[in-house]
Amino acid sequence: MIPGRKAGVDSKDAATDGQIVRAVLAGDVERYAVLVERHRDRYARYAARMLGSHDAAEDAVQDALVRAFDRLADCREPEKFAGWLFLILRNRCFAERRRDQRESRLSDGAADAIAAPERSDRAVEQRERINALAWAVEQLTPEQREAFVLKHVEELPYEEIALMTGATVGSLKMRMHRAYDRLRDLMKEHV
Amino acid sequence: MTKTYHQLVKNLLDGELALADLPPELRAEGEEALRLAGAVDRTPVALSPALDARVMATVRRHAEAPARRAWRWLAAPRQIELRLRVRPAVLAGALAAAAALVLLVSRPQAPIGAPPDVMFVRFVLHAPGAKRVTVAGTFNQWDQNAAPLVPAGTGGVWTTTLALPVGQHQYAFIVDGRRWIADPAAPAVNDGFGRRNSVVAVTTQGARTL
Repeated sequence: MIPGRKAGVDSKDAATDGQIVRAVLAGDVERYAVLVERHRDRYARYAARMLGSHDAAEDAVQDALVRAFDRLADCREPEKFAGWLFLILRNRCFAERRRDQRESRLSDGAADAIAAPERSDRAVEQRERINALAWAVEQLTPEQREAFVLKHVEELPYEEIALMTGATVGSLKMRMHRAYDRLRDLMKEHV
Repeated sequence: MTKTYHQLVKNLLDGELALADLPPELRAEGEEALRLAGAVDRTPVALSPALDARVMATVRRHAEAPARRAWRWLAAPRQIELRLRVRPAVLAGALAAAAALVLLVSRPQAPIGAPPDVMFVRFVLHAPGAKRVTVAGTFNQWDQNAAPLVPAGTGGVWTTTLALPVGQHQYAFIVDGRRWIADPAAPAVNDGFGRRNSVVAVTTQGARTL
């Protein structure tokens, strides 16, 4: 958390997400800032890996937070606001991936790597492999990519991913295993 | 030609096996797979500190949109002096359907000249074996504890009557605190997240499921 950047928001607000959702629905719009502060970073890495770009992730998180506010009355289980927000962000990421399926972006990490001048051979090799994998993950279908990001970037167990996405563990494993084969093919020069 | 990983190597990548668990002939493939997995970038992503302000600026604009203000007006609780004129409930029909049904029971008579903006709506669910039934919807911010139904006799029929503002409401029943059920007697809409909500339109003339 970056100190001092939350002017006007009570970072120590002890109210639960559900209490805040109800307060916002009752007209206390400013309380929504507490939910924004609590949840803005939670899925940032997921969005960045799904969309392949830091900037796109920031736009997606911002849009998801605004959309969540607009549809707050539809939030069936206010105490599970975070999971509901994830679904909104996920829909946004999938929609964007489908729109831009042919467009690939260099990740910010890749750009940093290209600019980094002095590294040992081993570090360079590892960085190249990281960049190659980031590129390869972008070539997966949105569903495979999501499974890979949640399983290997966020390091979540299949059971938790199933709860978040509504998919069954079996279908997640199938997606993931197909993704492994595709990644092996795409990464054959790097591993 | 694409080379696929052996199933055991996929289990290794899933974290269900260790490299030492693989038969010797799969070790090299397993090591290759682990090199791939070792290239996963888990660097945290930090969003701009200005994001919060941008979100809140947009949210404030949206909050002032006429449609949202109108909804708040409709949904806001207010004290109304009521003299009830109760119409007979069509409970038999609901039971025949052996399902859930939302019914208009009565309309409060508002003071002369005041807009009649609240109607009584009866919710009925046939849920034999249930220990607890509630109804949640846009009218109570989907609070699953706000509107419990009570058993009507011993036949598994649960009912409650709620005062709802005129307007369109989405709702669902919750059985035993965990099972969400859209009203099978009413068409449902997708909530955008893979679940189904029933819809009731409350007008000054009555209530009907959509």
